[in-house]
Amino acid sequence: MNRLVQSTIPVILLIGLWWVIVATFDIPHFILPSPDRVVWVLVERFPLIASHALTTALEIICGLILGAALGFGVACLIGDSKKLTQLTMPALVVSQALPVFAIAPILMLWLGYGFASKLAMTTLIVFFPVTASTLAGFRAMPKSWDLTFQTLRPKRAQLFWSVRLPLAIPYALSGVRVAASVAPIGAIVGEWVGSSSGLGYLMLHANGRGQTDLMFAALLVLCVEALIIWSLVNRLANRFDQNSHTA
Amino acid sequence: MLTITNLDLSYPGYESLATVSWQVNQGDQIALLGRSGTGKSTLLAAIIESAPAIARQTDRIAYLSQQPALLPWATAIDNVLLGFKLRGEVSDSIHTERALDLLAQVELDGFAGRKASLLSGGQKARVALARVLIEESDLVLLDEPFSGLDRSTRIQMAALCQKLLSGKTVILVTHDPRDAQDWLGTAMVLTTNTIKGPYTLNEFGSDRALIQALDGDL
Repeated sequence: MNRLVQSTIPVILLIGLWWVIVATFDIPHFILPSPDRVVWVLVERFPLIASHALTTALEIICGLILGAALGFGVACLIGDSKKLTQLTMPALVVSQALPVFAIAPILMLWLGYGFASKLAMTTLIVFFPVTASTLAGFRAMPKSWDLTFQTLRPKRAQLFWSVRLPLAIPYALSGVRVAASVAPIGAIVGEWVGSSSGLGYLMLHANGRGQTDLMFAALLVLCVEALIIWSLVNRLANRFDQNSHTA
Repeated sequence: MLTITNLDLSYPGYESLATVSWQVNQGDQIALLGRSGTGKSTLLAAIIESAPAIARQTDRIAYLSQQPALLPWATAIDNVLLGFKLRGEVSDSIHTERALDLLAQVELDGFAGRKASLLSGGQKARVALARVLIEESDLVLLDEPFSGLDRSTRIQMAALCQKLLSGKTVILVTHDPRDAQDWLGTAMVLTTNTIKGPYTLNEFGSDRALIQALDGDL
């Protein structure tokens, strides 16, 4: 309870400051709506906002699952081989170095304006942190452990499944935690570039009509949605972490 | 058991280290002393990885380092039996009984079912020793296995090693001569230039005398 109060205080202070600024400088609502106006719009237009929020949530969650699975799978495939890592790392880094904004129009062209392109973009943004962290996990085994296991004359597959993979899992989970915090970027960028639903679309739509209050309401819902998804992923990851137990 | 001929311990781009030639016979139990950074661990790694300059008469090597390499999520007995699992061999009831017996011998009665992550440093070292023993290797390489343990646990570990590794060929790498003096009779000294010895550790009456006698090297 204490923690909840502690984390709520800065939010309340921020909203208070926002309200004071709007009231003091008499800022027009189409530039910066007051918090109470945003809340009112949120209540009034809730069914509309909720339906768009659902689309974005689906894009984020599906992208997160697909990106994490792909990232983990690729890391497992190349993690056991230094040569394969050296060969694939440049491509992996390029996949991350290219801004998702730059790729978005191409993905729209190939996959259309529907769910698939947003899923692809979220997957792309999630893929790298999970791959990189899992690979770091495969590399993290100390030399003395490696020597010890060599002397046990292991079969390669057994060593992978029984030792190397479980040791890499806590690292992979760190990657998933990071990925969960950046996944909404993929979904929102995708919606901005071209879509007919989702919070990103709603924000652009509202912006075009001068409905700044609706834009802020959508932004607020996006914040809450991202926070819920991140904390759910974090909880899940913590549970797995306890089961796998780090060295 | 082991013939090392002109093995260069240097790393490219770093200060050069000794080039080692050394013959280890079956049943030898030798401490390899030397300052940190002289390449003692590199020498053991070269033996395990079977570097071209090394002729080994056995593939059955056991290795115990300062980090006991226990899987933290697995129980003590599963860690002892890890070699069987990694080789894809079914560990039957005879293996299990042997593992339990070895755990008892390293004074870990009743700890078989405890997760490795819940064991103390000394207990982990003893589980790792039990794993070395169950492998029944011909050559046992110990790389500062007592580092990080308190003095009384070190003495206990040395006594266990003396008792349980009797008859095996053993190389114990350490920078602390006391770990060797507790247990072994013979020592070689690795410097940045060469490997020297054998020295007879029994000749030295105290730690101080030992350190003084090897002062040029240690």
